[in-house]
Amino acid sequence: MNEYLSSVNSGIFYLLVAGILGFITIMCFVFLIKSYKAGIEIGMDKKVLKKTITASATFTLLPSISILLGVIALSGSLGVPFSWLRLSVVGALQYELNVAEIAAQSIGLSGLRVDEMSIGAFVTIGLVMTAGILGSVICCIFFLKKYLGKIHKAPKKESSGKPGFGAHATTAMFVGLCAAYIGAYIGKAIPREGQDVMPLFVAVVAAIVMAVFEYFIQKKGKAALENFSLAASMLVAMAAAVFLQMVM
Amino acid sequence: MDERQREQFFEEYNRGLHRLGRILLITSVILLVAVPFIIGAVNGVMPTLSGFLAGFAKVGIIYIPVAIVEFLVYTPMLGVGGSYLSFLTGNVTNMKIPCAMNARDMAGTTVGTPENEIVSTISVATSAIVTTLVIVAGVILLVPLQPVFQSETLLPAFNNVVPALFGALGLKYFAKSPKIAAIPLTLMALLCVLVPAAISQTSLLMIPAGGLALLIGYVLFKKDKL
Repeated sequence: MNEYLSSVNSGIFYLLVAGILGFITIMCFVFLIKSYKAGIEIGMDKKVLKKTITASATFTLLPSISILLGVIALSGSLGVPFSWLRLSVVGALQYELNVAEIAAQSIGLSGLRVDEMSIGAFVTIGLVMTAGILGSVICCIFFLKKYLGKIHKAPKKESSGKPGFGAHATTAMFVGLCAAYIGAYIGKAIPREGQDVMPLFVAVVAAIVMAVFEYFIQKKGKAALENFSLAASMLVAMAAAVFLQMVM
Repeated sequence: MDERQREQFFEEYNRGLHRLGRILLITSVILLVAVPFIIGAVNGVMPTLSGFLAGFAKVGIIYIPVAIVEFLVYTPMLGVGGSYLSFLTGNVTNMKIPCAMNARDMAGTTVGTPENEIVSTISVATSAIVTTLVIVAGVILLVPLQPVFQSETLLPAFNNVVPALFGALGLKYFAKSPKIAAIPLTLMALLCVLVPAAISQTSLLMIPAGGLALLIGYVLFKKDKL
């Protein structure tokens, strides 16, 4: 087994991640029990509270399986324990992969490629991924109490009915992000020294699969597929990469 | 319980959630940041400061503004307990917010009421616990499959996980906002075709590409063409 992959899949790493996630899960139970008791105290119907728990649990099941698929997609390059930690806490698949790629390039690798990774590169990439995602958490620690206090006290403004630019800003930023990557894959596929068609091929396959999902979600009303569209598109495209490598 | 007692009780409940939430987040931040150092120490290596700063500068310029916007937009929807738990356990937009909204609709509560706050917190906590359990079950099943995942045959799959992500995401975002996407996508493709050295600098390219997309988005928004 590759030495790097052995290190990032070591038993001690599993224990470390299990310990951290165990702590967070216990705290989730504390919030749950505290809120349940508060609900009873202010006279909420027990049935409503129980229904909230069962509805939330069932609502979460399918998206959780898609997160698990994300763990599988990430585990080949970052190992199972770190992927498990990253997708259980704070992050999401899109963020983790993008940041890992940026961090890998910043330390001189060509990207997040298993054959270039070392444990030294991994710990730096891991630290960038961790620090980069903590923005909202830090905001919550320092500003949540004040911010929500102000929101609740502020008089409700008449809404114009039109959402602000904020909603479009995040989409625009991600459009730019995707444009940079897709542009690079197109550049790599041009026949010249160092040509590599694989990234563009994989991206196109993923886009086609996603288009099929979008068709069923948007046109056929299969909203439940939304939970799986990203992870499933990626896994099909990754399988296509294996296939292309075999026939090349 | 009369209205005044109810209000007092709710204020005390919220104060408790803030206290607990801050303890939870501060402890978690320390634990999460410690992970790369612990793994490094076990293997006799440490994260490099220059690599970290170079990576963090590029990541921060994109994700710190996103984090602030998410904090400002989503916390009023999630309430006190829901916000602490959602931002810690992640998957906020794709899971926690829809889950909390769904629970609120089912319970029939309205924003700003104690009932709404309680339902949101219960919903997000339950969601986080279920996700953790599902992933734990999956990881237990994954462990014996490790040799398969690490085989040479599957190497192209894991070496191309990033193109797979951006192919799928690209389709989704480009289809959602073709007017914003057209110019940045064309420019980035042209740049990488004409200047091969730019290809390996994706982490830098995304800054002008993101800025350009934002600018185009803003102009279209102002002209009411989005």
